[in-house]
Amino acid sequence: MNELIIVILLAAPLIGGLIAWPLRGRAAEGVSVVAFCVTAAAGLGLATAVPGSSRITAFGGVVSIDSLGAYVLTLTIIVAALALWASPKYIRYELAAGELQPHDEGRYYALLLWFVATLIAVPLVDNLGLLWVAIEATTVVSALLVGINRSPEAIEAAWKYLILGTVGIGFALLATLLAYASSVQVLGESSDALNWTRLIAIAPQLNPGLLRLSFVFALAGYGTKVGLVPFHTWLPDAHSQAPSPVSALLSGVSITAALYALIRFHLVTVAGIGPAFSSHLLIFFGLLSMAVALPFMIRQEDVKRLLAYSSIEHMGLLVVGIGFGGPIALLGVALHIGLHALTKATLFLSAGALVQKYGSRRLSAIRGTLKAEPIAGGALGGGILILGGLPPSGIFVTEFAIIVGGVTRGYGPAAALAAILLALCFVAMAVHGSRTVWGHSGPVAAVRSFDLSLALRLAIPLLTVTLLGLWTPGPLTTALESIRAILGATGA
Amino acid sequence: MTITVFDAARFLDTFAAGIVLVGILIAGTRSIGRAIWLVAAQAILLAAAVAVVGLATGSPHLVLGALLTFASRGIAVPLALGLILRRSPVRQERNPYLGPRVSLIVAIAIVFVSTMVVDSSTLSGSLGASISAPRALPASMAEVLTGLLIVMTRRKGLSIVVGLLVFENGLALTAFSFTYGMPFVVELGATFDLLMVVVVVGVYARRMLTVFGSLSTDQLRNLRG
Repeated sequence: MNELIIVILLAAPLIGGLIAWPLRGRAAEGVSVVAFCVTAAAGLGLATAVPGSSRITAFGGVVSIDSLGAYVLTLTIIVAALALWASPKYIRYELAAGELQPHDEGRYYALLLWFVATLIAVPLVDNLGLLWVAIEATTVVSALLVGINRSPEAIEAAWKYLILGTVGIGFALLATLLAYASSVQVLGESSDALNWTRLIAIAPQLNPGLLRLSFVFALAGYGTKVGLVPFHTWLPDAHSQAPSPVSALLSGVSITAALYALIRFHLVTVAGIGPAFSSHLLIFFGLLSMAVALPFMIRQEDVKRLLAYSSIEHMGLLVVGIGFGGPIALLGVALHIGLHALTKATLFLSAGALVQKYGSRRLSAIRGTLKAEPIAGGALGGGILILGGLPPSGIFVTEFAIIVGGVTRGYGPAAALAAILLALCFVAMAVHGSRTVWGHSGPVAAVRSFDLSLALRLAIPLLTVTLLGLWTPGPLTTALESIRAILGATGA
Repeated sequence: MTITVFDAARFLDTFAAGIVLVGILIAGTRSIGRAIWLVAAQAILLAAAVAVVGLATGSPHLVLGALLTFASRGIAVPLALGLILRRSPVRQERNPYLGPRVSLIVAIAIVFVSTMVVDSSTLSGSLGASISAPRALPASMAEVLTGLLIVMTRRKGLSIVVGLLVFENGLALTAFSFTYGMPFVVELGATFDLLMVVVVVGVYARRMLTVFGSLSTDQLRNLRG
C-alpha cells in the first residue's frame, strides 16, 4: 500500500510535467494543478501515516520515512502549493510583459513539477547515495527555472548556481563515499551499507577518522546548497533572479532539503564519535553565516536579494541550534524549520507581486506599497516583522528557544552572539521594510480592485505562523516532540 | 588469458599515472577542443582501470560501472561539449586568470603535494589496510584538486565544464580507490545527474551565445552584493 502511494507521489509530477511541457495557457495550468493535487494527497497521506516514534519503510529499505522526513515532505508540499497557486498570475504577467516567450509557459509548469518531484524524493530515501542523487537533481532542474527568462542577469545567476552547486555537491559525494568506505569495513559490500538507518545503528564501530573527514566534506558540500558562508555566493543570485514562485520554493524548501541531508550526516557523526566535533563546526559556520549576511542585508538595494540574505541568516541560526543540541534548542529548531519555510515563501511571493507592480527590484524604487499595492505591500511589511520574531510571531518562540537552549547547554557566548546578530538582522530588515511600506509611492497607480486569491495565499501562511506563536495544536506538538527526539536521539 | 589480482594492481598504478598525466596536460592546454578530447581520454582510462579490476576480481558490477563510465564520460559528454564548441566563435582560452604554463606547473605541484600528503598522513597509515586501492588515492586527490584549479582559473564556460569533468573523474577515482566504487544504483543515479548537468550546460551555453555572443564568463559580473 505504502509502495503504491510512493510511486503515485513521484510519478504524478513527473508525468504531469511531461504532459504540461508542450501546452500553453489554461491547459498547462490545469494539468499541473491536477498532477500536483494527486501528489499532495499522496504525500500528505503518507506523512500523516508515519508513526511518531518509528518509520515507514518500503521497497526493501530503499525508502525510509521518519517524523523528520514526514515533516520535510509536508513542508515541501505546502510551499509547493503556495508557489503553484501564485504561478498563473505571475507567469501571465511576465508573458504579457514580453519577459517570457509563449512556449516557456508549458516548460515552466513542467520544470516546476519536476523540481517538486526531486524535492519530494529527498526526505524519502534511506540511502545516503540516493539522497545525494536527489539533491543534485534539485539543482539541475531548478537551474533551468532560475534562468528561464533569458535576461543576462538570470543567465549569470543560473550559470553560477549550476557550476558552484555541482562543485559543492561533488564534495557531498566525497562525504558519502567516505561514509560508505567506513561502513563497508563493518558491513561488507551489502546493499544497505549506505542507509543512514543502518549507519546510525553501527556508528560506534565506524572508523572515527573517516567519519570526521566525511562530516567535513558533507558540511562543505551540503553546506553549499544550504547557503552556509563561505559557500553561499550563488544563493543571493539564484534566489533573486528566479521567477518569484520558484524563489519561494528555493528559499522555502530547497535549502531546507539540503539542511535535512546535512542533519543526517550530523546524526551519524554524533552517533559515531560523540557530539563535540560536528556540533562545534556547525555552531562556528552558523554564526559565521549570520555575521556575514548582516552587512549585506544592511546595505541591500534589491528586495529579493534582501530576502535571500535573510535565508542565509536563518539557515545559519538553524545550524547553530542543531549544534547547540539539547531538548530546548532542538524543539526550537524543529518548529523554526517550518515557520521559516512558510514565512520566507510568502515574503518572496509578495515581493514578486511588488516587483511586477513597480517594474523594479530596487528597494529605493519600491515605496509606499501600502497605498499602491496594499495586499502584497502589507504582507511584505507584516512578513518581515513576523520573520524578525516580533511577538506574538511563532518565530519569536523558536528563536528564543534556540538561544535559551544554547545557554543551558553551556554555549553562553555563542548564544549571546547569535542573539545580537538576530536583533541586528531584524533591525536591518525592519528599516528596509518600513521604507517600502510607507515612504512616498511616486507615480505608481494605486490598486483599486481586491485580489482575493492573492490576499488568501499571502495571509494564510502568515496568520498560521503568528497563531503558532500563541498555540500549537496537539498533533503538531506530538510531531515536533518526535522530531526533536530524532534530532537529539543520540545523546546530542 | 586470465588477469590476476596482482596484475590488476600493477595495471591500476599505470592507469592512475596515465590519468594524472592527462590531467596535467588538460591544465596546460589553451585549446578548448584539445581539453575536451583529453578529458574524454581521461575518462576512458578510468573506465579501463575499473574494467581491469572488475575482470580480475570477478565483479560484474564493476565491469558494468566501467561500461557506464565509458559510454557517458568517455563518449556522450565529450561529444555534446564538442557540438557546443562548434557553435562557439572562440575556441581558445584567452587570458585566463592563470596562464597555461603556470597552470601546468601548479598541476605538477599538486601531484607532488598529493603524493606526499597521502604518503605521510594517517590516511595511508591507519586506514591503508582497509582501502581497496591505496596507490590510486594520491592520483585521485590530485585530479580532484586539478579539476578545482581549472574551474577556478578559466574564463570560458566550456573550459570550466572541462574542469568540472576532471573534478568528477577525480571523485570517481577516489570512490574506486576507497571501496572499488559505490553501490551500482548510486553510480547509475550519479551518472544520470552528470548527463543532466551537461544537458543544462548546453541549454545555457546556447543562451549565452545568443545573449552575449560568446561563452566567456567575463560578461557574468553584473550581480554583486
